[in-house]
Amino acid sequence: MTKYFLYSGCSLETSASNYLISVESVFKALGVELREIEDWNCCGASISYIGANHLSQVVLNARNLALAEAQGGYDIVAPCSSCYIVMNQVNRELGEDPALMQKVNSILAEGNLTYKGSVKVRHVLDVLYNDVGVETIKSRVKKPLKGVKVGGYVGCQTVRPYGEYDSVERPVVMDRLIEALGAESVNFSHKIKCCGSGIFLTELDYGYELAGNILESATSKGAKVMTTACPLCQLNLEAYQERVNKALKKSYNVPVTFITQLMAVAFGLDPSKDACLDRNIIPVEKALKTAA
Amino acid sequence: MAQKASSKYDPTFAKEVFEKVDSGEEIKKCMQCGVCAASCPLADKMEFSPRKIFTMIRAGERQKVLASKDIMLCTSCYTCIVRCPRKVPVMEVMHGLAHHALRSGFVPRKESSKFGKAFWDCIYKTGRVDEGVAARNYYLADGLVAGAKRGLEMKDIALNMLKHKRMNIMSAIPGIQGKKIKNIATLQKMLDKAEAMGKGGSK
Ligand code: SF4
Ligand code: SF4
Repeated sequence: MTKYFLYSGCSLETSASNYLISVESVFKALGVELREIEDWNCCGASISYIGANHLSQVVLNARNLALAEAQGGYDIVAPCSSCYIVMNQVNRELGEDPALMQKVNSILAEGNLTYKGSVKVRHVLDVLYNDVGVETIKSRVKKPLKGVKVGGYVGCQTVRPYGEYDSVERPVVMDRLIEALGAESVNFSHKIKCCGSGIFLTELDYGYELAGNILESATSKGAKVMTTACPLCQLNLEAYQERVNKALKKSYNVPVTFITQLMAVAFGLDPSKDACLDRNIIPVEKALKTAA
Repeated sequence: MAQKASSKYDPTFAKEVFEKVDSGEEIKKCMQCGVCAASCPLADKMEFSPRKIFTMIRAGERQKVLASKDIMLCTSCYTCIVRCPRKVPVMEVMHGLAHHALRSGFVPRKESSKFGKAFWDCIYKTGRVDEGVAARNYYLADGLVAGAKRGLEMKDIALNMLKHKRMNIMSAIPGIQGKKIKNIATLQKMLDKAEAMGKGGSK
């Protein structure tokens, strides 16, 4: 059985609990074993530069990589795009810069840790598409999402910065996964435009604008459901949708799911226990009724 | 006039950026094409685009750059990094400038710096971020009354999250800390060491 370390990060423990639970059920259904890195710490996301210099952020992530290496060395799979990009970038930097690696190891020595550089960091979409594969996913579908028009919102960090598993400008993986579930993927111009990320909280007006543009772009092309693979994208588009409506005088009412929630439904798993649809603020059941 | 101009102009600023700002030396590669500015999702909210910031650094406009709200308006979308023809990691420079500005006593954006500090504080104290604790400490950064008011403004979001089991009510209570990782003491030692050994760390 293939094993991975699931790096759930901080938001999957609370605000994106529907993501975490659906990731776990889907991987279980696909026969993939997920383990936790014991005593992992936060990756710092894209905002820790405010409180710390670059070396601190590198060390923060190197600690997790070193722990993973010592505990079995499986690939780390990150469902959160921010965790993915930060950890992946640090891992690359360490691999390409022996002097930095040496410096970081002299710091990790404080905790009797050392990193050799053997661990890989992967996004959940990468693992689903390239390791599990579309054919396997298709063969697991029991309730195809026939006739459901899904706007696959990839967001920015999900496929960046190296284009390791998908194009950084024209990504296709999310669409292929949507289609594997029997749904129809909607093409729209704002597929990889930024949703406002963490700046949303401190610059609400700008956030409403960015999120509003994405909602407009997807719904105008016929999307009845949206899906993401990043907790912050989901939060900004869904939890704030009412506020976006108020701020921009719009009336969007489009459910925003995690891709793994759609998978769980298509696999015929339990809609609340496994797909956690009841944890979405904008009800999604009706839009998926073909699969029910 | 001449005197006023010279007091603003600081010829050592470019050197300061190269030596003390994380990724600061990377701006030497910039050829001023403007691709970063054209790609940035918040370009129309900025007074100075990243491209302009880089010229201003070379022109020695220390005060203007480090006080500029624009250096803290980056959403970390990586678009500039992906597109810059000279491979300048524009985003990293913006982050580096923001950190350097805060460390040098400037507060380019009050809200972003408060939130960022509350977030880092959680990491440093516990090794993880409890979203409730980070949000609470951010709101309370200006005191209890202001915090309660700001919190109330976000009531609709919070209630919805709570109702859908996506928020932990306990962490919203003042005084409560997130759960610590096991080896928090050694993590703190590592972070202190990194802060001292990093660029500009010894000040
Ligand atoms: S895209 Fe790169 S080279 Fe062009 S202005 Fe921006 S930083 Fe300079
Ligand atoms: S990473 Fe920051 S500076 Fe670069 S395009 Fe995105 S928001 Fe603009």
